[in-house]
Amino acid sequence: MKYTKRKVKYLILTMIFTLAFLSIFTIYKPADYLSQAEYKKALAPRVLYWGSTGQDVKNVQWQLVKWGYLVGEVDGVYGPETYRAVRRFQQKNGLRVDGVVGPETAAALGITLSETTASTGLNRQSDEYLLARCIHGEARGEPYVGKVAVGAVVLNRVKSPQFPNTIAGVIYQPLAFTAVADGQINLTPNKDSINAARDALNGWDPTYGALYYWNPQTATSKWIWTRTVTLKIGKHWFGV
Amino acid sequence: MERRRGWWIAPSILGLALILSLAWGYREYQLRKDLEITLDNYYQRTFFDIKKHVENVQTNISKAMAANSSERNILLLSEIMNEAYFAQDKLAQMPIPQSDIANTQKFLNQAADYSYYLIQTHLEGEPLTKEQRGQLASLRDNSAKFNQELANLQSELAKQNFTIGSLSNRQTARVKEGNENVFQTTLVNIDKNMGDIPRLIYDGPFADEMVNRKAVGLTGENISREEAERKVREFFGGNRVSNIQAFEEGEDIEKVRIPSYTFSVSLDNRDNQQAYIGVSRKGGHVVWMRNPRTATEERLSIDQALERAQRFLEEKGFDNMEVNYHQKYNGGVLFNFALTEEDVTIYPDLVKVKVALDNGEIIGFDATAYYTSHQERDIPEPTLSLEEARAKLRDGFEVNSERLAIIPKGKKEILCYEFKGTYMGDEFIIYVNADNGREEDILQLVIDENGTLTF
Repeated sequence: MKYTKRKVKYLILTMIFTLAFLSIFTIYKPADYLSQAEYKKALAPRVLYWGSTGQDVKNVQWQLVKWGYLVGEVDGVYGPETYRAVRRFQQKNGLRVDGVVGPETAAALGITLSETTASTGLNRQSDEYLLARCIHGEARGEPYVGKVAVGAVVLNRVKSPQFPNTIAGVIYQPLAFTAVADGQINLTPNKDSINAARDALNGWDPTYGALYYWNPQTATSKWIWTRTVTLKIGKHWFGV
Repeated sequence: MERRRGWWIAPSILGLALILSLAWGYREYQLRKDLEITLDNYYQRTFFDIKKHVENVQTNISKAMAANSSERNILLLSEIMNEAYFAQDKLAQMPIPQSDIANTQKFLNQAADYSYYLIQTHLEGEPLTKEQRGQLASLRDNSAKFNQELANLQSELAKQNFTIGSLSNRQTARVKEGNENVFQTTLVNIDKNMGDIPRLIYDGPFADEMVNRKAVGLTGENISREEAERKVREFFGGNRVSNIQAFEEGEDIEKVRIPSYTFSVSLDNRDNQQAYIGVSRKGGHVVWMRNPRTATEERLSIDQALERAQRFLEEKGFDNMEVNYHQKYNGGVLFNFALTEEDVTIYPDLVKVKVALDNGEIIGFDATAYYTSHQERDIPEPTLSLEEARAKLRDGFEVNSERLAIIPKGKKEILCYEFKGTYMGDEFIIYVNADNGREEDILQLVIDENGTLTF
């Protein structure tokens, strides 16, 4: 009798463990940085960040001045003052504090961002933002020059006949960038990455035309070591 | 008795948990399967498209070789260009390592580029030369071979019940191995063949000669690293440099376009800034310099910044440089300077200078383009007069400024009249060949408060 009683106890204990274990699947959501990434941003909505200009920036500044976050001029230039004010606003309002006015921050400010800046719709913003996201995903731990170098490799590939001919084509080529494969590219780029993207688009190429780079610590492909090796920037080796 | 009453609780909860987890697992499985099928359908479609596009390239080249009129040829060539670009674009979307398709991509890109080049020769009224017909024939043969391999692959895959999506996700090792063997080996073989074909000789952005172009503007002897460091100190001037650190170099550093020594430099002002600089091995010219600091205040006007930039260029021995565009970003202004000789603006010889708007410091310098193309030039006298060239412009194009300029066209440089102006509210620069009056290039300008972008 005693023996079976213990058996039942064990049974109940196992059951509780099983339930607890199963509940992991239903309750647990991976809380890593990836799920925090806004996948909506992947479609590059109109966002304002350091260096943005125009009427939309004026609207943001106006609202920030009205609510006392910004003491300064409403000049339509997203500078350091505006950046800090936006961060303060985001902190106070429980938004993600990144100093970037995206759809959510804009909604909290009670403004809608217009679709494009110039009336012609011609601008470099979407290229710039996509490149910044790629740099952020691939090289956010690198020194600034290493970030620009990664951006330069993307642009060198666009110009090379061996690779796709658009920035998006190069970045999203399957198996090309690990940050694209694991979704890190969808993280919101920080100021450094955006500046690096701009510098790369304005022609700074510290790699002298490199088409490849790899991290010797994490590179898994043996093939990459058969490439020519030219220069080491930060943790990455670059090659043509 | 007491114990007996509750005996069913444990197994039923356990059973419920089992059923729930099975249901959950089945749902996940279904979801995964759906996604897999969607992905595979997409890859199948891409694969069939590639096959079709390559087929079209092949047949259109055959037609172009049979056609006699240049009108028909131009239409066929533009179709070849399109189809080759489509094939290239779609090939790059397949889940295949880039190293396995690099040559194939290059083949397709160059086929498209070459067709564009031939369209231009046709439009200039020149018939195809014997060499060009020969190159077309070899293009046709190679795309035929490519097409044949793709057809084989296709029937092989049909036999094996292959899913392309399996290349990109986990599958039982054996199936995957089998799949990869057929798919990868075929593509690697195609790629190897593509690597062996003789290169196309023509003039376009993807031509081998353009891609592997070496800098012609570097003069002088090769210098040592110590000399390069001295050049760096000289460049920053005074005693501003407190520490110089060379970047680690690989064994193939000489294979880049401008082989250089690259340094990271600590500057002895305010907050210990880091700047980066590249000095060419040949001749010891400073090719580029960047100080990535962002200026937070804007105390200088664009004109004042321009003055600094001009003074800087004169100090560094760049005479006769003329500013063209500027772009304001990150608290600095980037100016584009081009060389002028005998009142002709020489766009290939471009130097960029970035000035910080807080204190006027030079925080960026880039003469890569200048050293790539600068050489002694014989600037010919224009055949057309300015008036004759202006007459070539569209009615209603309002000219704001005009001058002579040399612009790059492939590896050639051509003398043009440059007309800046507006048409229907948009701003353009139109280049008219000073020799024969052809419109060589049209750029659209987008001007905002930060500067000018060209498209």
